[in-house]
Amino acid sequence: MPAFLRRLAKNFLLRRLLAMFATIFLVVTLTFFMVRLMPGNPIEVYINQQMSLTGISYQEAQNQAASLYNIDLTSPIWVQWVDYMKKMAVGDFGYSFSSPGTPVIKMIVDYLPWTIFSVGISIFISFILGIFMGMYIAYKRGGWMDHILSSFASITSSVPNYLVGILLLIFFGVQLRIIPFSVMRGTAPAGVEPGFSLEYLWGIFAHAILPMLTYIISTIGGWILTMKNTTMTTMGEDYVLVAKARGLKESRIIVHYVGRNAILPLFTTLVMQVGLLIGGSPLIETIFVYKGIGYALSNSLAQRDYPVMQAIFLCITISVIFANFAADLLYSKLDPRIKSNVTE
Amino acid sequence: MNRAKWIKYVGIITLLMAVVLVFLSGCARETQTDSNERVLHGAPGIYPPPPQGHFNIYITNNIYLGIYLDLVEQTLAFYNWPEDKWIPLLATDWNLDTTKNQFVVHLRKGVKFHDGTDFTSRDVVTSFYIPYLMNLAVWQYFDKVEAPDPYTVIFHFNHPSTVADRYILRVTYMVADSVYGEIAREVQSWADEEIYLKGLQEKRDKGEKLPISIEELDRRWNKVAGLRAKTMDKFRSFRPERRIGTGPFTVDIKDVDESQITLRRFAGYWDANKIQYDKVVLYNGETPIITPMLLAKEIDFATHGFPIATERQLKKTGFRIMRPPTFGGAGVAFNHDVYPLNRKEVRQAIAYAINRDEVAAVTLGEAAKPCKFVTGFSDTLVHRWLKPEYAKMLNTYEFDTVKAARILESIGFKRGIDGFWIDDKGKRLKLKLLCILEYADFASAGENVSLQLKKFGIDAPMRAVTAPQFPEDANQGRFDMMIRVWGAGHPHPHFSLYNDLISYNYPMKLGKGMNFPMRQNVAPWGNIDLELLIRSSAEGFDIEKQKDSIGKVAVSLNHLLPILPLYERYGNSPLLEGVRVAPLPEESPYYLNNLYLDNFLVLMMMQGQLQPAVLPGHNGGTR
Repeated sequence: MPAFLRRLAKNFLLRRLLAMFATIFLVVTLTFFMVRLMPGNPIEVYINQQMSLTGISYQEAQNQAASLYNIDLTSPIWVQWVDYMKKMAVGDFGYSFSSPGTPVIKMIVDYLPWTIFSVGISIFISFILGIFMGMYIAYKRGGWMDHILSSFASITSSVPNYLVGILLLIFFGVQLRIIPFSVMRGTAPAGVEPGFSLEYLWGIFAHAILPMLTYIISTIGGWILTMKNTTMTTMGEDYVLVAKARGLKESRIIVHYVGRNAILPLFTTLVMQVGLLIGGSPLIETIFVYKGIGYALSNSLAQRDYPVMQAIFLCITISVIFANFAADLLYSKLDPRIKSNVTE
Repeated sequence: MNRAKWIKYVGIITLLMAVVLVFLSGCARETQTDSNERVLHGAPGIYPPPPQGHFNIYITNNIYLGIYLDLVEQTLAFYNWPEDKWIPLLATDWNLDTTKNQFVVHLRKGVKFHDGTDFTSRDVVTSFYIPYLMNLAVWQYFDKVEAPDPYTVIFHFNHPSTVADRYILRVTYMVADSVYGEIAREVQSWADEEIYLKGLQEKRDKGEKLPISIEELDRRWNKVAGLRAKTMDKFRSFRPERRIGTGPFTVDIKDVDESQITLRRFAGYWDANKIQYDKVVLYNGETPIITPMLLAKEIDFATHGFPIATERQLKKTGFRIMRPPTFGGAGVAFNHDVYPLNRKEVRQAIAYAINRDEVAAVTLGEAAKPCKFVTGFSDTLVHRWLKPEYAKMLNTYEFDTVKAARILESIGFKRGIDGFWIDDKGKRLKLKLLCILEYADFASAGENVSLQLKKFGIDAPMRAVTAPQFPEDANQGRFDMMIRVWGAGHPHPHFSLYNDLISYNYPMKLGKGMNFPMRQNVAPWGNIDLELLIRSSAEGFDIEKQKDSIGKVAVSLNHLLPILPLYERYGNSPLLEGVRVAPLPEESPYYLNNLYLDNFLVLMMMQGQLQPAVLPGHNGGTR
């Protein structure tokens, strides 16, 4: 092998990039076939919906479907795959099956920012609060706050997020009636012109509160417990003992000696979570009728809208892969001990 | 950590909580805006928000308004189901000319669309030619729609039928020529040719002589098919900005988001003085999403199906539960390729062994009524459509396990030592019951049927599949028994019988399905063709002749039991009175209208019977 090729093969960034593209190709192909292996297809789903919604006969619904759907599900699957990959290569996501004439990319652009906004802020708040609380109870272990926060964290991290959402609705919306959730549904206040007006910005924050609270409550427990664990481990390290012996201020030890080292493993998880945020949460967004990408995924799954499903899965794949890549790079920056291994 | 820092953290957390509360109170203020408006809160079901959702009402993923569609777009008439009467809306009168095979409709004058244009016969023609493009069933019955003057429309029948009136008067919504006219005229430019060629094709299939050569026919077919495809391609991506109708409320795309649709009062409505509301807010969502909103009294009326426990809770909260019929329900269908289900005695024994009262009660409580007559259409239609000579031939299959056992013994079946039945070939009866997982009522019905049959000695384990998988399994005959829908939302039994015996059966040409033979020997008529009888049951204008066809099919279904209707589903629709809606009368014939097709609430609103609970100026309106 020529020397420059050997150098290229050894280049960490190049290897990672090639692996990333190979993974994306593989996932896109798998997704293409897997969505088609799901029971039913968009036409069957439409026919059944029409029969149950309007009471029309199968034949009538079938005639309507024949007019409505201009999709080819009968040609060999590999032909469909080649066609799909060709279009993908030039960034053409196609049109929604169930909403003919609507480009999939338009839907992604419309839905994705809301998920990034709500889940992004939630992850940030949850992470910040979680690490502070985790560190605090690690220092005060055995105290009453430790018992309360540890129990809270154990419970919330084991309850599925959709259940947290439903409980929020039932307790605060239905029982106590302190959340006017009928107007808090959706992403923006009804009847307010979108723009940089205070009313609109206020509105979108208010409408994101419930999904955000749900995300925060259901993820903060994990951060608290992990941070508590890593803090306690770090506190037993020799360099912390030495720092104490040197008579350094406790605040300096907490921040620079314990905090900085204890937080390291959490960064990888955080970056991975940022990658996953693109997927949103179909259940949470459905419960709060929040127009994020999870909501779109949930609807497209129900309608077997293949192009939309594929595009959303592709977005999730790309974001997870890039987040992993970013985690690798970031980790090497944060922890110089592994830098040499990574960049070799 | 010292006390000061601890206080600081508590302070930060408190501050965060305060911020949350401020946000929430900000939202609360949002609810109190326009408090003098009279607003009705409804829930149409689930609709896709823009950009997927749109206002081309003929294309999938249009913004679904459910029963509230009549408040925006209207039909020529409304139908009073229990009294079998038409209530004129955009048509003032109509008549059927059986000699000329014409249906003549006279239109109401002075009606305006939301964009200010007059409603005329031109709009009606447009409203019928778009359904032609979409292959809608209305065009099975006539071949031409004409407008001889601005307020008269003539429909020319090519397949005369008494069911066509409903398609003309109620099923087809009137859309504005100003919106759909261009497309409709494009359709008209090739529709006559296509209808003519279809007629020739029918002749060709029958082997009759054609006035043109086969090559000419094919050439003209290809040309018209190309024109149709071109129009359809254009129409698929047609997205009107507004939904222009003649109804009392307007809707703009700006009034639609993923959470709600706001319908605003149309000042130019032709019967405006009857409308007592300024706005109708429709909340998006399926049953689990809508339920908390109902419990919080944020919705006045919903047509979703609710589980029994939720219904109980809604009653406690103060809702009145309305029970309009749906003219259909769940039944058990049998696979006639599976032995011994292809023996009518076995199906009859199963009918006796299932307590339909119990199935109905455990499935939907008061919202399900056990089928009494077992005809395949609603019991409420039996007296109207079954002549006494047919009605007296019906078996009601009262729950009787002794009789069921006697029938099985009469054909050589025996009980095994474990109590389960063994057929005449020595095989233990094990029949899998297919049902749809997501439909809670179907799953409960399946579970109960399975239990009851097990108690009787037939092992009938349930196999639940997802809704998209179900038709595939049902059409391909991958089941022994299945819980499926019977009946149809139409006052003529033809549609119910069609659904019962042709859907999921081989005549659909989608697979073997139930594989129930449509040619049967039924006493006292001997050999009959059920498919032919079903198709003829809606043909022509002779109701008595139709009743004979319906009678024969109903009795055949009752005796042969290819499908056993279990219960008829009635609504359990919660209505909140006293908050935004004044109490409605205790009784009204409209309550017996079909829940989804001619809903009482919408009809009462249009007739001025639906009043706000509190009028403006009194306690700040009804919000």
